[in-house]
Amino acid sequence: MIKRSFFTLTQPKLKYDLIEPDPKEPESIPVPSSLILLLNEPIDSTRQSLIKKGTCVKKGEKICLYDGSTEYTISPVAGTISSIDTYSDDFGNISTYIIIKSNQSQTTDMSALAYDLKEDIASADEYLRPLPGAPPLAMLASEDSKINTIVITCADSDLLSTTRQYIAVKYLDKIKEGALILKRLSNAAKICAIVPQGLKIQADFDSMQVVNTANEYPSNLPAMVLKDHFNTILPAGKTPSDVGYCFISAEAVVSLANAYKNKTAGFEKVLTIIGKQGNKYRVKATIGTPLRKIFNQFSIHINDQDRIVIGGPMTGFATFTPHHPVRPDMDVVIVQDRDHIPELSDNPCVNCGKCIQACPAGIPVNMLVRYLEVDQYEEAADKYDLESCIECGLCAYVCTARIPLYQYIRLGKHEILKLRADI
Amino acid sequence: MNNNKLIVSHAPFWHDGDSLFQMNLNIMIATLPAIIFGIIQFGAPAVGVLALSCSSAMAWELIMNLVSKKRISINDLDSAVIGLLFGMMLPAITPWWVVITGTFVAIIIGKMIFGGIGANPFNPALLGMAILMLSWNQLLDFDTALVNFSFDFTELAPLAAVKFQGAGTADLFPIADLFMGKQVGAIGSTFGLGIIIGGIFLILRGYIRWEISLSFILGIVVTAFMFNMVNADEYAGPMFHLFSGYTLMGAFFLATENSSSPVNKIPMFIYGFLGGFMIILMRNIGVYPDGTVLAILLINLVNPIIDNIRPKALGKVENNA
Ligand code: SF4
Ligand code: SF4
Repeated sequence: MIKRSFFTLTQPKLKYDLIEPDPKEPESIPVPSSLILLLNEPIDSTRQSLIKKGTCVKKGEKICLYDGSTEYTISPVAGTISSIDTYSDDFGNISTYIIIKSNQSQTTDMSALAYDLKEDIASADEYLRPLPGAPPLAMLASEDSKINTIVITCADSDLLSTTRQYIAVKYLDKIKEGALILKRLSNAAKICAIVPQGLKIQADFDSMQVVNTANEYPSNLPAMVLKDHFNTILPAGKTPSDVGYCFISAEAVVSLANAYKNKTAGFEKVLTIIGKQGNKYRVKATIGTPLRKIFNQFSIHINDQDRIVIGGPMTGFATFTPHHPVRPDMDVVIVQDRDHIPELSDNPCVNCGKCIQACPAGIPVNMLVRYLEVDQYEEAADKYDLESCIECGLCAYVCTARIPLYQYIRLGKHEILKLRADI
Repeated sequence: MNNNKLIVSHAPFWHDGDSLFQMNLNIMIATLPAIIFGIIQFGAPAVGVLALSCSSAMAWELIMNLVSKKRISINDLDSAVIGLLFGMMLPAITPWWVVITGTFVAIIIGKMIFGGIGANPFNPALLGMAILMLSWNQLLDFDTALVNFSFDFTELAPLAAVKFQGAGTADLFPIADLFMGKQVGAIGSTFGLGIIIGGIFLILRGYIRWEISLSFILGIVVTAFMFNMVNADEYAGPMFHLFSGYTLMGAFFLATENSSSPVNKIPMFIYGFLGGFMIILMRNIGVYPDGTVLAILLINLVNPIIDNIRPKALGKVENNA
């Protein structure tokens, strides 16, 4: 963990990790005997499900819960469904998890189902959403999408991860290939890439526009990229897609290129794993692999009271189980020893002002938190700029009183959306 | 499934390691140069006052915690800091009951009834001082308080001397003497150099906001300079004001108290400058020799109004996109 330095006249400096020169091949994790897939649709017991315990699935087969479901996932192995149940995340969003037992004995047909991929975005959206890297195809394919710029991110948005950089360094040709496909499929006028400063690859992008992002957090977060490099200030409460920008990870672009070439999906996700001592491992694991399998391979022992963080130290989330599966959008997994977990407190804000210095969006966090603590969301949004927050987590990182500020803010935004929806 | 009990909490999963305890500990460390000097200068009575002030402040908070059945909060050292700063503003031979009454006002009225740490609109230590000034002003008269001490420098409280005997007496106090602590005054407020060292330490550590200290000092210097320009016989010069009384304590330890001061850039400058300006105004025109206590309480009062001046948040203006 990066502590504040002794002298801190200036703001905290959190640097992104730059990938090592000549990166090693990631270590491959064998396909486990059972895989877990998450499906972003709750179970509806009143409806007749298309799948149940015992249903056989082929490698590459689309799985959805009900007739007419728009959400789907793809089985990375041939096997049988052994369990379907409800999963809820830390915001209380309900989805479904599906456990698949793979038939490893059936070595005969190891190739995945071939898709009838056509040269349009709807067809890509029909089969390729769960590709490694999670390409935002649903957004690109949606009727009212106004995307005119696609930004390929070769820079990892949160700290510690080097997954996207690895992909960018190793598979640059594939990225270029994928970019051409994206160009053909979507009606975006422009495709460009962001590359972290210090990663010397932009000359190889040929004619594609490349911007260099600073190596200091949070400059790779979409809102900051738009502000620093595209002269676009994201209006409060809006997402990049609302202003015509679509961010897609380098890995997703590579997966797309591969999928179009092979007419089928790939399932191997590259991950950065950070062990308890901060040691870094790069692995390639099949989507659906329980994290525990990966930890075992590196002898990372998970004890009670440890923490498993998915998606980066600043913006990620903590899972309650080491069986959490590898997911298409998972770039980094961090294991924190219980002795290294910073304590939070129930102190009130002491008005020290560090959050305000740290906030890249100019939000009066000290005032905001007073309203959020007492659930005055409307006030918080109208007077204290709740919706301008770009969700970087820096305020909570520096808070002297150790208030879980970022959690308050995320909850507040969530509540405001609900309030707005009710009106 | 064999499940470990993992910790599930929310982002961010890192923290810079700072805490209230750290912050207050650093403030206490920063007071050391001034305090050690004060103890050398005034001897055992000074130790007694500081110790009593610090401990009684913590005791009041503890009692309040117990009475209101709240979590014990003295381990964040906040009341210790309030007590310490309060003690530093007292003459070395302040009677014990005055110290205890002062810390009672500071902690109970100044801090706890507003809701404890972070909720106080005024600097608690200064509120304690203000009550003393109103009730037992003669006890805070440094000339009588320290009558039994003998020093090798001018044995007069500089501000009182200038107030009642005219600006000409300022010549009795060479700036270098004031700066090096050769002046009659409170335990922790005489050693200008020590306070500045402590203040710079806190600024570099990021525990006080330099904007406030700097503009506060500027306010003093500019205002005193103007008065001095207009009538040098009646009004002492800026350097005299800067290094006498509670001025430097005000700049680095009192005006900078977190919850009663602004956090936005421009408000910090206004707040600090106004503080310095008010002090000189009170010293030159008001009835008290030192205006620091009241001046800072006054800027505490206007703090919520000025701290509303702040930059627009990202994306807040609709037509900006
Ligand atoms: S998370 Fe905190 S620091 Fe980051 S933009 Fe939001 S309010 Fe500002
Ligand atoms: S950092 Fe925490 S304690 Fe300091 S002003 Fe911000 S919210 Fe308050």
